[in-house]
Amino acid sequence: MAATMVSSAGGLLAMLNETHPLLKLHALSNLNSCVDQFWPEISTSVPIIESLYEDEEFDQHQRQLAALLVSKVFYYLGELNDSLSYALGASSLFDVSEDSDYVHTLLAKAIDEYASIKSKAAESNNEAANVDPRLEAIVERMLDKCIMDGKYQQAMGIAIECRRLDKLEEAITRSDNIQGTLSYCINVSHSFVNRREYRSEVLRLLVKVYQKLPSPDYLSICQCLMFLDEPEGVVSILEKLLRSENKDDALLAFQVAFDLVENEHQAFLLNVRDHLPVPKSQPSEAVQPVSSDPANAQNEGSTAAEDVQMADGTSASVTTVPEADPSEVMYAERLTKIRGILSGETSIQLTLQFLYSHNKSDLLILKTIKQSVEMRNSVCHSATIYSNAIMHAGTTVDTFLRENLDWLSRATNWAKFSATAGLGVIHRGHLQQGRSLMAPYLPQGGAGGGGSPYSEGGALYALGLIHANHGEGIKQFLRDSLRSTNVEVIQHGACLGLGLAALGTADEDIYDDIKNVLYTDSAVAGEAAGISMGLLMVGTASEKASEMLTYAHETQHEKIIRGLALGIALTVYGREEEADTLIEQMTRDQDPILRYGGMYALALAYSGTANNKAIRQLLHFAVSDVSDDVRRTAVLALGFVLYSEPEQTPRIVSLLSESYNPHVRYGAALAVGISCAGTGLSEAISLLEPLTSDVVDFVRQGALIAMAMVMVQINEANDSRVGTFRRQLEKIILDKHEDTMSKMGAILASGILDAGGRNVTIKLLSKTKHDKITAVVGLAVFSQFWYWYPLIYFISLAFSPTALIGLNYDLKVPRFEFLSHAKPSLFEYPKPTTVPTATSAVKLPTAVLSTSAKAKARANKKEADQKEKAITEKTDTSTAGKGKSSSEKDGDSMQVDTPQEKKAEPEPSFEILINPARVVPAQEKFIKILEDSRYVPVKSAPSGFVLLRDLRPTEPEVLSLTDAPSSTQSPASGTTTGQQGSASAMAVDEEPQPPAPFEYST
Amino acid sequence: MDPKLTEVSQLFERFKAAITRKDYDTCTQQLSLLKVMLTGFRSLPPLFEETPNSVHELTLARDIFEHAVLLSVKIEDQDAFERDFFQLKPYYTDARNRLPESPNEYMILGLNLLRLLVQNRIAEFHTELELLTSTALENPCIKHAVELEQSFMEGAYNRVLSAKQNVPNETYGYFMDLLAKTVRDEIAGCSEKAYDYLSINDACQMLLFKSDQELLEYSKEEHPEWEVKNGSVFFQKAKDSAPCKEIPSLQLINQTLSYARELERIV
Repeated sequence: MAATMVSSAGGLLAMLNETHPLLKLHALSNLNSCVDQFWPEISTSVPIIESLYEDEEFDQHQRQLAALLVSKVFYYLGELNDSLSYALGASSLFDVSEDSDYVHTLLAKAIDEYASIKSKAAESNNEAANVDPRLEAIVERMLDKCIMDGKYQQAMGIAIECRRLDKLEEAITRSDNIQGTLSYCINVSHSFVNRREYRSEVLRLLVKVYQKLPSPDYLSICQCLMFLDEPEGVVSILEKLLRSENKDDALLAFQVAFDLVENEHQAFLLNVRDHLPVPKSQPSEAVQPVSSDPANAQNEGSTAAEDVQMADGTSASVTTVPEADPSEVMYAERLTKIRGILSGETSIQLTLQFLYSHNKSDLLILKTIKQSVEMRNSVCHSATIYSNAIMHAGTTVDTFLRENLDWLSRATNWAKFSATAGLGVIHRGHLQQGRSLMAPYLPQGGAGGGGSPYSEGGALYALGLIHANHGEGIKQFLRDSLRSTNVEVIQHGACLGLGLAALGTADEDIYDDIKNVLYTDSAVAGEAAGISMGLLMVGTASEKASEMLTYAHETQHEKIIRGLALGIALTVYGREEEADTLIEQMTRDQDPILRYGGMYALALAYSGTANNKAIRQLLHFAVSDVSDDVRRTAVLALGFVLYSEPEQTPRIVSLLSESYNPHVRYGAALAVGISCAGTGLSEAISLLEPLTSDVVDFVRQGALIAMAMVMVQINEANDSRVGTFRRQLEKIILDKHEDTMSKMGAILASGILDAGGRNVTIKLLSKTKHDKITAVVGLAVFSQFWYWYPLIYFISLAFSPTALIGLNYDLKVPRFEFLSHAKPSLFEYPKPTTVPTATSAVKLPTAVLSTSAKAKARANKKEADQKEKAITEKTDTSTAGKGKSSSEKDGDSMQVDTPQEKKAEPEPSFEILINPARVVPAQEKFIKILEDSRYVPVKSAPSGFVLLRDLRPTEPEVLSLTDAPSSTQSPASGTTTGQQGSASAMAVDEEPQPPAPFEYST
Repeated sequence: MDPKLTEVSQLFERFKAAITRKDYDTCTQQLSLLKVMLTGFRSLPPLFEETPNSVHELTLARDIFEHAVLLSVKIEDQDAFERDFFQLKPYYTDARNRLPESPNEYMILGLNLLRLLVQNRIAEFHTELELLTSTALENPCIKHAVELEQSFMEGAYNRVLSAKQNVPNETYGYFMDLLAKTVRDEIAGCSEKAYDYLSINDACQMLLFKSDQELLEYSKEEHPEWEVKNGSVFFQKAKDSAPCKEIPSLQLINQTLSYARELERIV
């Protein structure tokens, strides 16, 4: 009010020149109150006010007032740096709680300034950075105020930004909801703290705070410890929980173990397992489903040291300690279980059973592809084989191959290699019988093998795929195979297999074996060796990288250089800044292939960090490099850097997707595919749609594959464009004039779209937002298929089942119902395709059998209570083997009615799901546990492995997922749960029998 | 009456008495004291609070500042003049509708204009002029200043100098004296640009000096860069001191090249 009365501050400014100090003070205080209005006038007199501030003769208050005034004027002039330095001079007069733009802006500025000083100091390792104490005081005042006002999240954010861990701790401990704040803090530290070392510091602090709590959240602590790579901490927590009398604590320990396994950090898990004490007495053999399996023991041979120890322990305890302390027995039993979980075998086994029992793959799609693809076109032929493998990844269903042996036999040479390797994808996770499955194709020791080297190499690769990241048992065998051969095709397969099986273990012996292969300087084997070395050393940032780099400079073979380039990139996985020197070295190399490796190194070192520096560098290379390969890869690499923020990617690459350069467009498509995989993100689909009809064939290929990756497990009810896309794929496959490249893309896309029997999605982040190392590595190597088609199989590493699997104390799957509070149609399986009219000739043989088959089908359907599960019938009939193809087709046509019948009644707004159930990512938020349920989950998680607390332990348990080992005998459909529930006596660990091997009729 | 106000008016009376006595030292001290006391009144600018005595206080404050301005002329202190005038100004502008007009207003405004003219601050002179109403412009004091400025701009320096004879108020004398010097500076500035050198005689005539001695002193004090030799004044040196700016050709070439490169890169 007062300020509006005068028209000019001239009078007051003149007063500043008066000699009497009181007059100056008067002028200053009045100016300070009207500075908002008269700053333009005052700005001309700033030097006078500044001199007042600097005048030592004045009293403190007056000088501070002058400083505040100057600060405000500079603020209005937009000179924030000057403004801040004067505001600091004003010390206590600068009121952080004042609600004005000036204060807000300056506070932000002050915090930024402080944070940048602190982080610079930390980066240059200069702890004693001279920070202006006044600046520090202001930031601290702000922090204290935030804490006082209950704005803990802001306080934590500022504290983290400013590297004030003491304040961070204070904010957390003083907050009203410590658990909530802690989990918020973990989130923040993962998404916003860019420097790895600092993030570790934050997490270490969090662990400390967690441990001080009366009821620590062990799940979160262990996640933190895993990030910090401190297995000892995890071990001590697990031990404490296992020792506890309370059964719930043991359940919690199991849950912790499952959560750790989900992050796929093999080296860490092995470490934890090795630190856990070996159980003193072996409990009854039924408890441990995995490692006590005799077949497995045979497989593993004498390789796995732990197993030997365990076996020793068993025999020893049986003889010497016949009667152990009951609590020790219980402890030992639990220990065995947890070792099983940590080895990943339990979860792999359960996943395998789930994928097998819920397989909904649509063989008709494959059939259509097979028929429309020209026989002589080997690219499309192998693409179909790839597609089949991906579609059935992890389901163990190889019906399609069995039914089409003649057709399959057309695969020769490398096609045969990949056809055999495809079996590995199909049987992925079939740890116990993997080796016996592949036995017919494996190289037989000695000269009498007689098999083609291609199928032998493929089989070794397949073994790697089966045991990917869990290769304890198979490593030795693969090593032996590698050493005993000098056929480069077999070496190739063995290298890849070994790399996969020993992923990230940094095993020196294996490394040396592979290095020997590399030094033979054979192009084919050397390429695989390069990649394999990278796989072995994933994320170790070891010295080996420079050794590899040196060899890459020496060798003449492009293939080897490329393999090594990728391998080097893999070694720096997730190391962020640590990798900068290596990246610099690679990106400045003369050789475009090494620069190309540099792009991958950038992608992997900063994977999922959305680090601005990395993005900037990649964008720079994407537009400035002279080599198309490097540009393509640079764009593609963006997908890896950004997968933690999929919403960002379409925006960032949208311009690149309109580039004149087809390689850049291709890269943009795959970048979107990688980072938005499985999200069904609308922007991503919109960006890819035009690219699927690009003028250049390989861009179409990339776009189709990327689209399939984005749309995996999204059904038409969710996004109508999925239906359009499926029809587009079919059209491309059927079109005789389509280019081979895009045809291949379409075939692969159909495989990815229905991957893993329609029960898996592509996920690069675990539920706790950790990078899934296997998945990221898998996609990175997969993207190499541009040069080498067999690497397509690496995509199977990125598949993770979308299921909620509840487990009881015995790690078995009890029958347990829960609610999905959404329309069933939103998340149901895509409807099976009908027999296309174009290929009506194929249907002919059904004519005779139809009546009987129809009657049979009808009976089946009645039994199935007309539930949507009727679809499983197809699987059953199809697994029945060959010769039944006619009835299968009929079954297909019958099922078309099922959905139609359903349409008559209004769709319910919810759905009861039965453990284990398919829960697609989009569905997760609708999952609820029924209130009067017998089981309560240990942690509330909508998917993955969840341990259940039994509230009524006295009642007999009904188990589901006692999978049907011989599917031919199982009754038609829909009875998986009901019937088999009664047959709970059936051991869970019973595996599907290995199918009889088939031979190539060459 | 408010005791504070009484105190101020008493001190003011003594201050006025001191002015008439021409005891300027006392005046300055008393004035400073007065100003400090004035800060205690909340009715004065910039607060303008409504108090029962506000009109009285405002009038008194205005009187004090008017006297302060006149005093500064008397003690020939231009800085003090400027300071006091700016403090007085709100009473003329912002307090216009609260107070009866002051008899001295135009005289002081005219003085201020003159001061600006003397200090060669023509821009501010015109700003001040724009703030005046058309009736104010008719006032002889203001008119005098305006006419002077016009002559000054036209270069009719003789008219400026002759105007000294008919000042509207005796206080103007001080500034009129100063104005002569301003005129001389102007002429000196123009001569520098116009001539390479001038003979001492011509220079004396041009710069309105009565003797060579005065010219030499002036050039020594104000323009040390002038060179006096061979009976002439050389301005050459002054001209050289302002070299023409170089064209940043290298920088421009670099920039253009980088644009071209960026254009190449556009995806």
